[in-house]
Amino acid sequence: MNDAIRMQISAFVDGELPDNEADLLLRRMGQDAELRQKVAEYLAIGRIMRGETSVPGVDRVHERVSAVLDDKPFESPDDVQPETRRPAIRPLLGIAVAASVALLAIFGLQQMTVDTGDTATTPVVADADSATTYTVPQPVNNQLREYYRSHGAMTNENGANGINTRLVTLRLEEEVLEGSSVIEKDADEQTEEPVTTQQP
Amino acid sequence: MKSPRIQSPACLLLIALLAAQPALASDKDPAVWLQRMGAAVQSTNYEGTVLRIRGGKVEALKVAHTVSDGVIREKVVAQDGNGLEIIRNGNEVHCILPDRKTVLVEEWDDQSTLFSTLPSSDIRFGAEYDVGYVREDRVAGRKTMMIAIRPHDDYRYGHRIWLDIETGFPLQTQLIAGDGTAIEQVKFAEITLNAEIHASALAPSYVTDSFQWFDRPTRHESRSVETNWVSDSLPKGFQAVSLHEEQMPGNDEFVTHILYSDGLANVSVFIADTVAESVQGPSRVAGSNSFSVVSDGHSITAVGEVPAVTVEQIARSMRLR
Repeated sequence: MNDAIRMQISAFVDGELPDNEADLLLRRMGQDAELRQKVAEYLAIGRIMRGETSVPGVDRVHERVSAVLDDKPFESPDDVQPETRRPAIRPLLGIAVAASVALLAIFGLQQMTVDTGDTATTPVVADADSATTYTVPQPVNNQLREYYRSHGAMTNENGANGINTRLVTLRLEEEVLEGSSVIEKDADEQTEEPVTTQQP
Repeated sequence: MKSPRIQSPACLLLIALLAAQPALASDKDPAVWLQRMGAAVQSTNYEGTVLRIRGGKVEALKVAHTVSDGVIREKVVAQDGNGLEIIRNGNEVHCILPDRKTVLVEEWDDQSTLFSTLPSSDIRFGAEYDVGYVREDRVAGRKTMMIAIRPHDDYRYGHRIWLDIETGFPLQTQLIAGDGTAIEQVKFAEITLNAEIHASALAPSYVTDSFQWFDRPTRHESRSVETNWVSDSLPKGFQAVSLHEEQMPGNDEFVTHILYSDGLANVSVFIADTVAESVQGPSRVAGSNSFSVVSDGHSITAVGEVPAVTVEQIARSMRLR
């Protein structure tokens, strides 16, 4: 990976890459795992620079990358133009959630692949990015897992679908794999209703 | 396989009418654009590559999606890791884990219709948020309108959505924390909209006959109920929109379930009579937070896709009247 690409990534994570170059970079990221990893590293550096994470050696990192990164947020909340703001009317936010619906499967799939090390059956660590100072709780038990699942189902039924609902559901789905019922399926049953049996 | 749900004629007509609205880049009214988005999500066929950026990680997914006569067919394939696939045919979803030779079966019977995304209660939605046009931008090589949904306080997350000017389809979304940083964003790196998608693009990449198939556990049994439990300190804008009792799998006891909503964010409160083996304090699964406390001999847990402070305040505010 040459310096030009690195500079391009740096500008990209700062939101300073021209539109046409950003489009090209995004397309490359879609095909290039190494490039995605490099962007992830720059994003992580950006968080350190913004003081979101405190890690040993952060000063050295700061010196190394200060020439190409600044301290502004990932995207400033001030970029909303005040003169165009307007109160929402009742249907708007509900329809807005449709954006999440379009990408629902993506959230769910990603969750299964990203957070496999942070399962709900292992001790839950308080979010390092949050400003809270909670006591780290006991491992999430079956009861809490069912609460997450039930919450997801209820919010869907209620119509006000949350972005993370399906994500959490699928995430937990994989976790409880071993405890689920098994569908015995063979080639002759492919077009038939699956038969559910209890796992031994 | 269960029959996929067919949308009602009235629903399809509404979608068609909304989708037919002219797309004018000069029109910066977010209401217009969000209406167009709602219609576009319901009717657009697309195929492309999606990037998800969260927690400093960037991952790519190939996705193909069609909707015909209200029936959704979709295939999502992870480009990194273990090559997970999600195959959706109507309401039935198969999550294929090729490395584990496993298929998870789940039924999604509650989404991807326009009406399912509309709030169904009488709450005056929107009082806790501003919705505004931000700017024109480009995503996946296409011109977009950026819309921001900004909460008035730190009890809920904000959202930013980039909508394709030509179709109204959302090409990028961000979940925004109180400090303005993006907790998570999903964006199309490349996309083809409303082109013909061959059936093979929606078929599984693996022969799964020899895989182990797992069904989702049976749905919780629930019943209507009245309760004396109330919150004496709900964050502004939240109201109770649902109340019932339900029986969790593997447990004979019923748990009271109250759903609070501000119209966009949702928090469930679960109240159990017994406190044995109950957790206390916070937990986090993905972007969702929960907080559990014991009050009046009951275990109270608040769960929702909201900041940690919100579920903690709601859980601690529950009282018997």
